[in-house]
Amino acid sequence: MSIRRLPEHLVNRIAAGEVVERPASALKELVENAVDAGAMRIDVRLSAGGIDLIDVSDDGCGMTPADMALALERHATSKLPGDDIEHVATMGFRGEALPSIASVARLSLESRVRGADGWRRVVDNGRVVEEAPAALPPGTRVRVEGLFEKVPARRKFLRTPRSEYAAALDVMKRLAMARPDIGFSLEHDGRRTLSVPPGQTRPERVAALTDRDLAENSVAVDLVRGDYQLGGVAGIPTFNRGAADHQYLFVNGRPVKDRLLIGAVRGAYADFLARDRHPVVALFLDLPPTEVDVNVHPAKTEVRFRDATLVRGMIVSGLRRALEEAGHRSAQPAAADALGLWQAEPVASPGPAMPLWSQGGEPRAQGYAQFHDRRPTFSPPPMARAEPAYAPLPESVSHPMGVARGQVNKTYIVAEAEDGLVIVDQHAAHERLVLERMRRALEGGTIASQALLLPEVVELEEPACDRLEERAAELAEFGLDLERFGPNAVLVRATPALLGHGDVKSLVTDLADELAAFDQALSLKEKLEAVAATMACHGSVRAGRVLSVAEMNALLREMEVTPHSGQCNHGRPTWIKLAHGDIEKLFGRR
Amino acid sequence: MKATIERANLLRSLGHVQSVVERRNTIPILSNVLIEAMADGSMRLMATDLDLQINETMEAASVEVAGSTTVSAHTLFDIVRKLPEGTQVSLTASDGKMQVVAARSRYSLNTLPRDDFPIIAEGDLPTKFELPAVTLRQIIDKTRFAISTEETRYYLNGIFLHVADDGQPVLKAAATDGHRLARVTVPRPEGAEGMPDIIVPRKCVAELRKLLDEVEGTVEVTLSATKIRFGLGTAVLTSKLIDGTFPDYNRVIPTGNDKILKIDPKAFMAGVDRVSTIALEKTRAVKMALEPDRITLSVTSPENGTAAEEVPGEYGSDAFEIGFNARYLMDILSQIESETVEVHLADAAAPTLIRENDKSPALYVLMPMRV
Repeated sequence: MSIRRLPEHLVNRIAAGEVVERPASALKELVENAVDAGAMRIDVRLSAGGIDLIDVSDDGCGMTPADMALALERHATSKLPGDDIEHVATMGFRGEALPSIASVARLSLESRVRGADGWRRVVDNGRVVEEAPAALPPGTRVRVEGLFEKVPARRKFLRTPRSEYAAALDVMKRLAMARPDIGFSLEHDGRRTLSVPPGQTRPERVAALTDRDLAENSVAVDLVRGDYQLGGVAGIPTFNRGAADHQYLFVNGRPVKDRLLIGAVRGAYADFLARDRHPVVALFLDLPPTEVDVNVHPAKTEVRFRDATLVRGMIVSGLRRALEEAGHRSAQPAAADALGLWQAEPVASPGPAMPLWSQGGEPRAQGYAQFHDRRPTFSPPPMARAEPAYAPLPESVSHPMGVARGQVNKTYIVAEAEDGLVIVDQHAAHERLVLERMRRALEGGTIASQALLLPEVVELEEPACDRLEERAAELAEFGLDLERFGPNAVLVRATPALLGHGDVKSLVTDLADELAAFDQALSLKEKLEAVAATMACHGSVRAGRVLSVAEMNALLREMEVTPHSGQCNHGRPTWIKLAHGDIEKLFGRR
Repeated sequence: MKATIERANLLRSLGHVQSVVERRNTIPILSNVLIEAMADGSMRLMATDLDLQINETMEAASVEVAGSTTVSAHTLFDIVRKLPEGTQVSLTASDGKMQVVAARSRYSLNTLPRDDFPIIAEGDLPTKFELPAVTLRQIIDKTRFAISTEETRYYLNGIFLHVADDGQPVLKAAATDGHRLARVTVPRPEGAEGMPDIIVPRKCVAELRKLLDEVEGTVEVTLSATKIRFGLGTAVLTSKLIDGTFPDYNRVIPTGNDKILKIDPKAFMAGVDRVSTIALEKTRAVKMALEPDRITLSVTSPENGTAAEEVPGEYGSDAFEIGFNARYLMDILSQIESETVEVHLADAAAPTLIRENDKSPALYVLMPMRV
């Protein structure tokens, strides 16, 4: 059999396999082109999840008829003016997308440069079928119909329109989040499912695309190190989710799915969240184009950093710093709703509040439900830094957590702050305080390690052993002494004394897996923290203990100065606040 | 079955067998005790958890009808325990029930068929020897604290017994949890030559120790590579052995430790106990600073502060510091009965040997802690 050079249309189809695997990936390429064209508005229409139709129109710079012909050639692009692939400033640059899509669908391209006439070019599965003048506003409009209709092998692998639509929506959200200055809209089968105006700020855009409550339950991340700049929003730990689907990373405005992000986010939130809860974050990393390689994969969802350790360090410390500032903030949807109302003129009548609360949990739930839909749209001032509109008692002025007024059910401390009623779960709060104290002690001293009489040999794969060996010094600081023992095993000589008679083998295996997945030895620290947390739990005030007013006040004052006191060790809130306005709402006075 | 037994007799025997029975069982009959009344006027009780089995023989006041049945061991034990002293207990089994009648109390207990009761097949037990109960008590007392509870290294969950020839024939018992080791050496009893190396499981050790309190004289030990049987007067304890290889512990017993500390174990232990009060953590690390004839114990707690105490001791080598887990140290020191103890040290990271003197049967090895 002789070797032959493949014809152009086959080459395009092969390339289409890499770039376009499903409607969502075609949509991504088209919207990215629109973004690169400098559009201010991008409107997308889909039908049947994009399988039948993808229609992207923008108000960007447009193309001349000659450019349009060229744009449908392979490796033709306007985005690399020089020959320098190291300095990619646009989303696309490979010049593959349009010809690839055109080779597997019916693609009609209409474009008009400002001050010139529009032109239209239709390509059906790689063959030009129509070329004519067209009437349209300045910009470009691309219609892709019948994707993979002539490629049954691919068509078979498409999912249902619903799940194709879900993928397309995710792509749109990521792209829209990356560019808050551009307006986006998405219409699916005639129903408008996404619409964001141009000229938003990042937090507004992120909140609009994820969860409306995020705006009030997040902190801003802002960290600059040399040429690297990290910005974005991070949800506070009590605002968590069951799945890690709301974690976004943008590198130079490009949405990226990277395991580096997952590991770094987990590391940053490790002390605040249970293992199966996930925070909401959207991080924007800007760095010189030479520091990152985006040309890893045709779909460009993966990138390679020249200095991955620095990037990870920045994400972890940026998030940590932002969360430190969150201090004792605590939030949950109900408290956030209540918070939105606090600015109303307060009525200083703490008296009726007590009988209300003694009715149990149900009135609270109803009360919140009533004013849930009347949430104001403005962004409220940060919790616990209230302006003194009215001071009911002089001593409460300087205390954001208020002054203890009593104890309910021997479990909850009721305090009166200047802006409302604070309810504290005494066990959860004290547990957190004890843990923070213990953690400071742990950080201050060295971790005692118990040497093993019979060193334990743990057999692992060679790369896993290499990774562990590389981090041996770091692990030794946590009290785990490892030594390489032949190519496929490590020898454990000492373990952290706190862990007692743990299962050494599974600990080391877990660590090796984590180093592979996240490049971080999380579980060792987590295990130590877990022991500390158990001890903190035993060493703290239990629910059901009667506290004196002095004790309650001492607890509140300590919460104000302890970082991360707003959530317990499992990410639940330790306190909630009911503003005066909310109390009035509950009585129907306003 | 119909028999009458003195309450005290029944209570003592039930007390022996009921602790073998686990509180919670997935196989219902394992909660039960097998009761057999013999025509010759004796009774047999039997309980098992499938790994460990106990047989107890006692004298009945009278056996009217020989027979057997099984009832819940813990329930019967509780009933007999609460009966007034000196009563005669009558047990009658018929139609799936067992009637317990004593004084004015009457119970009717559900039974399970005795044929379903599992019995450990002992097989052939070729090795047979006798040990004085005192010696066996000593072996257990001095080693059991070091038995590991970690299930992943199951081969450490027991006492390792083996015979050796160190100039004279000896029987050695060792236990370790990976952090410390305890070993007792006794002269080899007659008949133990050629004995296989065995690991006696923790639960068997615990039950055996309880039974030994009531035994004087000797205990008859018969064993094979997989089973062991202890004959203790009226009780016979049969256990499966741990099927695993005990690590070669002789390697970790240091022989070249040249820094020797001689100290009063009681004073030493009391000192360790006092300074470790300040530590809040589970692992109370105590630091020991050794200078010629001056031993300083200290504990630092990040929360509470520090504690220090000087203990008198005889030490003549270079000064250095070493850390230990206070609990481990106290576990070992509490086993020492003599006036002085020898602590053989090398450096802050090497295993430390502790023993009464070079003639004492017991020897302990402890790994230091890095603090």
